[in-house]
Amino acid sequence: MIQNLRTEVKKLLKDKKVDIVIGWEKGSLPLSSTPLFIHKEEDVDRLIFDETCRNNLTTYLTKDKRKLGKTYDKVGIIVKGCDARSIVLYSIEQQIKRENIVIIGVPCNGVLEKKKILQKTENEEILELKIDGKNVHLKGRDFDLSIPLNEVLCDSCLTCRYPDAPVHDIFIGKPRKEIDIKDEYKKVTDFEKKSSEERWEYIKEEYSKCIRCYACRNVCPACYCNECFVDQNDPQWIGKTPEVTDSIIFHLIRNLHVAGRCVDCGACVSACPVDLDLRIMNKKVEKEIKERFDYTAGLDINEKPAMASYCENEKQDFIMG
Amino acid sequence: MIKIKKSEFSEFIKNLQKNYSVFAPVTDGKATAFKKIKSADDINNKILNTKRSPKEIFFPQSEVLFQYTERGMEVPKREEKPFAIWGMRNCDTKSLLMLDNVFGEAHQMPKKDMYKDPYWKEKYDNCLVFNLACNEPLSTCFCNWFGGGPFDKTGSDIFVVETDDSYIFEAVSDKGKKFLKEFKTAEEISDKEIKKIEKLKETAESYLAEKQDVSSLFSKTKEIWDEPIWDEIAAKCVNCGACAFVCPTCHCFDVSDEGKGNKGKRIRLWDSCMFAIFTKEASGHNPRSQSTQRVRQRVMHKYNYFMDNYDEHLCTGCGRCVVVCPVNLDIREVIKKILDYKK
Ligand code: SF4
Ligand code: SF4
Ligand code: SF4
Ligand code: SF4
Repeated sequence: MIQNLRTEVKKLLKDKKVDIVIGWEKGSLPLSSTPLFIHKEEDVDRLIFDETCRNNLTTYLTKDKRKLGKTYDKVGIIVKGCDARSIVLYSIEQQIKRENIVIIGVPCNGVLEKKKILQKTENEEILELKIDGKNVHLKGRDFDLSIPLNEVLCDSCLTCRYPDAPVHDIFIGKPRKEIDIKDEYKKVTDFEKKSSEERWEYIKEEYSKCIRCYACRNVCPACYCNECFVDQNDPQWIGKTPEVTDSIIFHLIRNLHVAGRCVDCGACVSACPVDLDLRIMNKKVEKEIKERFDYTAGLDINEKPAMASYCENEKQDFIMG
Repeated sequence: MIKIKKSEFSEFIKNLQKNYSVFAPVTDGKATAFKKIKSADDINNKILNTKRSPKEIFFPQSEVLFQYTERGMEVPKREEKPFAIWGMRNCDTKSLLMLDNVFGEAHQMPKKDMYKDPYWKEKYDNCLVFNLACNEPLSTCFCNWFGGGPFDKTGSDIFVVETDDSYIFEAVSDKGKKFLKEFKTAEEISDKEIKKIEKLKETAESYLAEKQDVSSLFSKTKEIWDEPIWDEIAAKCVNCGACAFVCPTCHCFDVSDEGKGNKGKRIRLWDSCMFAIFTKEASGHNPRSQSTQRVRQRVMHKYNYFMDNYDEHLCTGCGRCVVVCPVNLDIREVIKKILDYKK
């Protein structure tokens, strides 16, 4: 697979079909890969794709920082299923021109969740990682552990219907169509069953951990505003402290800003340095949108997004009266 | 040097709490941090590098500087007891000396008569620092690059080594000596135990990765300030504040007023040069509007500007940023890239 990927990328660069290709290379820590920006053919051999390729690289296409989607005429980008859906979102929201992006899909078996792995090793440092098919082998100073891959995959991957880019220009191998997932919203429905006090306690406890570093926002493909509401200070919409009231407002507003746009790539979850459960609320909003508008973000470039369309016979039970 | 048995540890902490507010590494939810503890049971001595650095004990992420009403203003009342910090590592104790250069005076360089921050001083000046030796450094530890080490004692009042059955205490500062003198229950240690410490130290040092010579880092950073290498270094940074917020030495802050009607407060908050808004001026102009400029600022501040002011690098090699960076932008690789760069 990786050889085919490298060959394709080399060809694209050689034929001047792209100016740059964004992919992953081996990182400096056993559980991490790191983004790779390829301008020259000789760098192509550094490309990898495996279960450590967590980052949603499409974030580099937008945002004040890089705008690679605008700096270069033609950008090649290697994507998992969720990442590809972010590009669909960019295109609908006119952040990129679809024809400027060469989407290179790779078959995704899911990516590792660092936090789950560290739970398995009881926070002992991992010095070596090997993955063979269905198992993950971990080595540390005093342990040697084999665990089934699906016990340490990101929650997003465990409920992913579209592991292979639903929209792409090139696909390495054969893309799988939609996968049938039964309990996609189990965590959400379990959460909904709790009493409102219990839910509030959980949310309060989780969000009180936030250190307002904004890693979640900055890696998120859906968060590309030139100026985020939390950064505005005239007027200042919300307090800047890590107090739980301020954090909750930040997160709940972000939840609404990414409503119908979040592709559940899990980038925010893996970026968070304090392991906050960012997914539960995103998934709750996603479920609402699915049920009310039968809409899934990032599947169809021509479909109007849920939050940008209106239909008279939509459920209106949220209007009090 | 004296020792206490591990079985006496609870009692020791209890006694310490009589005169001090004791902070120590704890597991708080899923994250680890230095927190004020209730009893020794809260302490987790296994944690090598807490996720959140102990700088927040003295320089909290958000700190009310004063409150006001129409009748006047007041500074919030603080803790009466001095602080004792148990279980700091060398990379953290050294960071306190650096921060004291900026905010305090206990360690400020002679003739650099600079601003002294009362909020820092009231917490830091009377505190007692117990530095716990690192028996098992992590693969991300690189304190040895900056002159520190798992058994280095710089910045501690009392240096502590954990052996299989005891904690061995060595007074380092005058404050530490005074404290240990008042100890009645502890026993003196034997030659055998001194050998044991030597052995532990050797093993710990063998775990550290190879030391990088950083003696030219200062001049090199200055030379390459306007070279294109920064674009390459910064390319993957997403400009979050994760690295700065977990860093024990980063100390930039913002001041924010929160008021309503006649009441309000002024708060000091951590800030980071990685954020776009950090240098945004009231006119709308932003001298560091580009990600590359911001990454360069962080690296320059650590390995050049701070050196200019205080003769040391603003980095202790704790490796926290290496662990948290969501895009694995590894500061050790940045340093190596800079050192290897040829114009
Ligand atoms: S909110 Fe999180 S999961 Fe959703 S698109 Fe953004 S980073 Fe991905
Ligand atoms: S990444 Fe985590 S700590 Fe940082 S702002 Fe997001 S939720 Fe808070
Ligand atoms: S960097 Fe050095 S001092 Fe810090 S935890 Fe690691 S070994 Fe200990
Ligand atoms: S270096 Fe990493 S942690 Fe620091 S701002 Fe950049 S992306 Fe965030």
